[in-house]
Amino acid sequence: MMPCYKFYYFDARGRGELCRYALHAKQRDFEDIRLGGDKWQNFKPSTPFGQMPVLDVDGKKLAQSGAIARYLARELDLAGKNCWEQAACDQYMELADDMFTELVKSFFEKDEAKKAEVMKNLNDVVLPKFLALFESSLNRNGGCYFVGDGLTIADLAVYSAFDTPLKRCPTLLDSFPKLKAQRAKIEGLPKLGEYIKNRKPTDI
Amino acid sequence: MPTYKLSYFDLRGRGELARLVFKAAQRDFEDDRVQREDWPTLKASTPFGQMPVLDVDGKKLAQSNTISRFLAREFNLAGKDSFEQAQCDQYLELVEDMFKEFAKAFFEKDEEKKKEINKNLSEVVFPKFLGLFEKALEANGGSFLVGNSLSLADLGVYNGFDTPLQQNPKMMDSYPKLKALRSRIEGMPTIGDYLKNRKVSDI
Repeated sequence: MMPCYKFYYFDARGRGELCRYALHAKQRDFEDIRLGGDKWQNFKPSTPFGQMPVLDVDGKKLAQSGAIARYLARELDLAGKNCWEQAACDQYMELADDMFTELVKSFFEKDEAKKAEVMKNLNDVVLPKFLALFESSLNRNGGCYFVGDGLTIADLAVYSAFDTPLKRCPTLLDSFPKLKAQRAKIEGLPKLGEYIKNRKPTDI
Repeated sequence: MPTYKLSYFDLRGRGELARLVFKAAQRDFEDDRVQREDWPTLKASTPFGQMPVLDVDGKKLAQSNTISRFLAREFNLAGKDSFEQAQCDQYLELVEDMFKEFAKAFFEKDEEKKKEINKNLSEVVFPKFLGLFEKALEANGGSFLVGNSLSLADLGVYNGFDTPLQQNPKMMDSYPKLKALRSRIEGMPTIGDYLKNRKVSDI
């Protein structure tokens, strides 16, 4: 019997979208529960650590976006074909998360002067560094995927990490052909492609 | 059996958890402590220009938590199935969240701001995480965070409190299960010796 998945997060991409991507990529049914305001406050006490996302698997709850994404990757055959490939996927997830953390810093910076500085650093140093690392990693692995010869959570994690930067700067990937091609490939997948095309836009 | 070499600076930082996993599993490895002056030459040979790096029979793995998770799976310290593995991951990420708060204080140069951050750490942040971990231990029977034996989750939490405890040795006094878990780990063979004899580093 296939387990029943309920995924709880805000009505945004943020730290939840990667998990949704994994489920859609493998055309797996799940309850995509989006909570905010009072509904979230009422749900909060029943979460493991007072946060979302939370994945409910037949009544057992898992917290922490990375833990959930890795669990789904294993369950949905998106974690490479052996322990080493699973670690290789992890690597890229962590790298994507490092970049995401820098983006979050810039998004939440309230001080206007500091924000300008942080944004400049993001555009001149941080993003170019990660773009180069990801592009060269793809090249080293034959050009199509980060790990092995099929889609993994690594590819989806990098895709997800560039969602918001690309909104701000749609030409961001223009000098990174392998990354750009991979995005197009992911957007061409059934179900996941539909989901990406039809989801409502959110700032984050 | 594969040959393992872990390369990192000569301090705890982001390399120590992997070292603890080796010790807890009583597995041999080359504990390659790189001196600061030798790092620039080594950098280009790493996957992403950073350490720690784990070399397994010539193949390299980067990113501290990736390395720790990989080793935990190899040495049966990642829970007994996929769900328990995910629970271990959960705690590792929670420690990471706490570490990020802690790092803010460590890297803050402005003295006034630093005092403010430290106040927030001791009054809000640490109590929150101490409470979460203590509750999690209680909910799981009291001895370990996941399942009924030592896992990466326990080692991750142990490691996460090393530096805070150095700065405030009493911080766990009102959290008996956490405190007992620490003693339990310190009493285990090989890892116990390692913890007792390792040199002290600030971070």
